[in-house]
Amino acid sequence: MNSIEVKNLKRIYRATIGVIRRTVKEVIAVDDISFEIKEGELFGLLGPNGAGKTTTVKVLATLLIPNAGEVKVNGLDVVKDANEVRKHIGFIFGGERGLYWRLSGVDNLRYFASLYHVDPEVSKKRIPYLLELVGLKGRGNERVQGYSRGMKQRLHVARTLLHDPDILFLDEPTIGLDPVGAREFREVIRDLQSEKKTILLTTHYMFEADSLCDRVAVIDKGLIVAMDTPSALKRHVSDLSVVEVETFGVAPKVVDQIRELSFVDAVSVRDQGQRQLILVQTPLGAEAVPAVMSALNGMRVGRVTVREPTLEDAYVRLVGGKE
Amino acid sequence: MQVWKRCEMKIFANNLRLFWQGTVLSYVALFAWFRPVTYAASKVLMPLAQIIFFTYLGSYATGKDSVDFYVIGNAIQITAVSGIFGVTFSISGDRWNGTLPYLFGTPANRMMMFFGRAFMHIIDGALGVVIALTWGALLFGVDFSQTNLSALGLTILVTTISTCGLGLLMGCLSLITANVMFVNNTVYFLLLIFSGANVALDTLPPWMQTFSQVLPLTRGIASARTLISGGSFAEVAPLLISEIGIGLLYGWLGYLLFKWFEIQAKRNGSLETV
Ligand SMILES: Nc1ncnc2c1ncn2[C@@H]1O[C@H](COP(=O)(O)OP(=O)(O)OP(=O)(O)O)[C@@H](O)[C@H]1O
Ligand SMILES: [Mg+2]
Repeated sequence: MNSIEVKNLKRIYRATIGVIRRTVKEVIAVDDISFEIKEGELFGLLGPNGAGKTTTVKVLATLLIPNAGEVKVNGLDVVKDANEVRKHIGFIFGGERGLYWRLSGVDNLRYFASLYHVDPEVSKKRIPYLLELVGLKGRGNERVQGYSRGMKQRLHVARTLLHDPDILFLDEPTIGLDPVGAREFREVIRDLQSEKKTILLTTHYMFEADSLCDRVAVIDKGLIVAMDTPSALKRHVSDLSVVEVETFGVAPKVVDQIRELSFVDAVSVRDQGQRQLILVQTPLGAEAVPAVMSALNGMRVGRVTVREPTLEDAYVRLVGGKE
Repeated sequence: MQVWKRCEMKIFANNLRLFWQGTVLSYVALFAWFRPVTYAASKVLMPLAQIIFFTYLGSYATGKDSVDFYVIGNAIQITAVSGIFGVTFSISGDRWNGTLPYLFGTPANRMMMFFGRAFMHIIDGALGVVIALTWGALLFGVDFSQTNLSALGLTILVTTISTCGLGLLMGCLSLITANVMFVNNTVYFLLLIFSGANVALDTLPPWMQTFSQVLPLTRGIASARTLISGGSFAEVAPLLISEIGIGLLYGWLGYLLFKWFEIQAKRNGSLETV
């Protein structure tokens, strides 16, 4: 059975710009998106900044009315049956806002428990359980304003599990978490997955999507450009290898020159402080190295490696190496 | 039938709890940065300051025998602090905290969510008036020996509820515009002038008097003055009925605005714009 059905979803934002001569600018955040998520499935939504991920999640979470299309959660329409949908879903938008900073963690949870009509007897037991689950045991009585960013995000997770929803929308839940925190968080997601919860996850971390998701959709400019299992998506680029070149202060112009080479499929640059890692996708593999090096034209170069493509490489190819 | 009844009961109990929790927590959220001592001190001293300031100023300008006029007017006016500023902050807090998307994502009853924000301020405001009147008796010798105290108590409660009603409307405006403080201060000073706290209404030009009649507080102050000078409950009952009517009307407008805001925000995607 499908827990989530999105059919031809479209959402436009209108923004008025200018004070005196007001003009209305339209942004097509989601152009035409359709997908289904099966019960108990962990579905990833990937895509560059501004692709329309958060917009899609907001529509699913009943917080935004679509301009066109049909969106159903557990067979219920998110616009017409919004209040019924809300009882079955939980959602988080990454980041630390959305909590009462002057209240303690426990008081925040208490208030949201009452908003979700959780029986007081139930929430009395559930709140300590959830605090422990998200690793905030012993900190619940402190005021949220004294929490670190990661702690606030953990509290959000506890908040969204108060009414034990069977569907979860997690929009960049690990953004800003330290590596250990992010790993612990992924463990929590796996636990939820094993409880047969249906989860929609958006993330910019490809390894995260690769290790967690049953299926992913890559969206770009409000359209789905690929949708499959992570391993199937990797197979898209299995004919390619990735040449990684470590550089120190490479100019964007040089990167463009590499991109224009006939045997190069996609190029992306990853900043690592002083260094930049140039990732070149090419069917030539190691044979492409000399040409890439000559494009770099005598610049100082560190480590050079050739490796198998990952989900990230598949993603880079799909969205055109912009990230 | 039995089942239906139990179900109804449960919904009712749930809504009551939501109302109560919203009440307590929004109040705690607002005042948690005060330590209890600081809070108590401000609660006792703020009315004192207002009473002394306006009573000396007013009776200096108009003569000594009008002391009661200023004490009572300003004591009742204290409700506007909780009613306008307190309630507004309780509602605009959701905007600053970024909690609106999370609130509107719950199936909670919006009316309970909304009116729960005001409830504690009614108690807070009424307490402020009582403290202010006590100062009036201690410092300026306001005489309560002729006063129907339970009718005065009712007057205080009714007036506090009606200013909170206006506060709910102002609070909603704070969700829509960012200039809450400006709007609130303006309303507060309008009340200070037009409610009759410091200016006898019959000295105002007619159009201003009309304006006074659509504000909360005006009739509450008149009622308190009548009662303290020995008037009967029957005399003030019509005033109190209109006073609460006005308050509920503002509160209801606030609620409609709140609902409208939710719908608009979902249409425009403006739920978290600060
Ligand atoms: N409230 C809004 N008003 C106007 N435009 C908006 C609003 N929210 C988003 N947009 C625009 O809609 C487009 C899609 O935004 P969205 O937030 O859905 O992207 P995203 O995929 O979540 O990006 P990111 O990875 O950066 O979070 C962007 O161009 C954005 O500028
Ligand atoms: Mg986003």
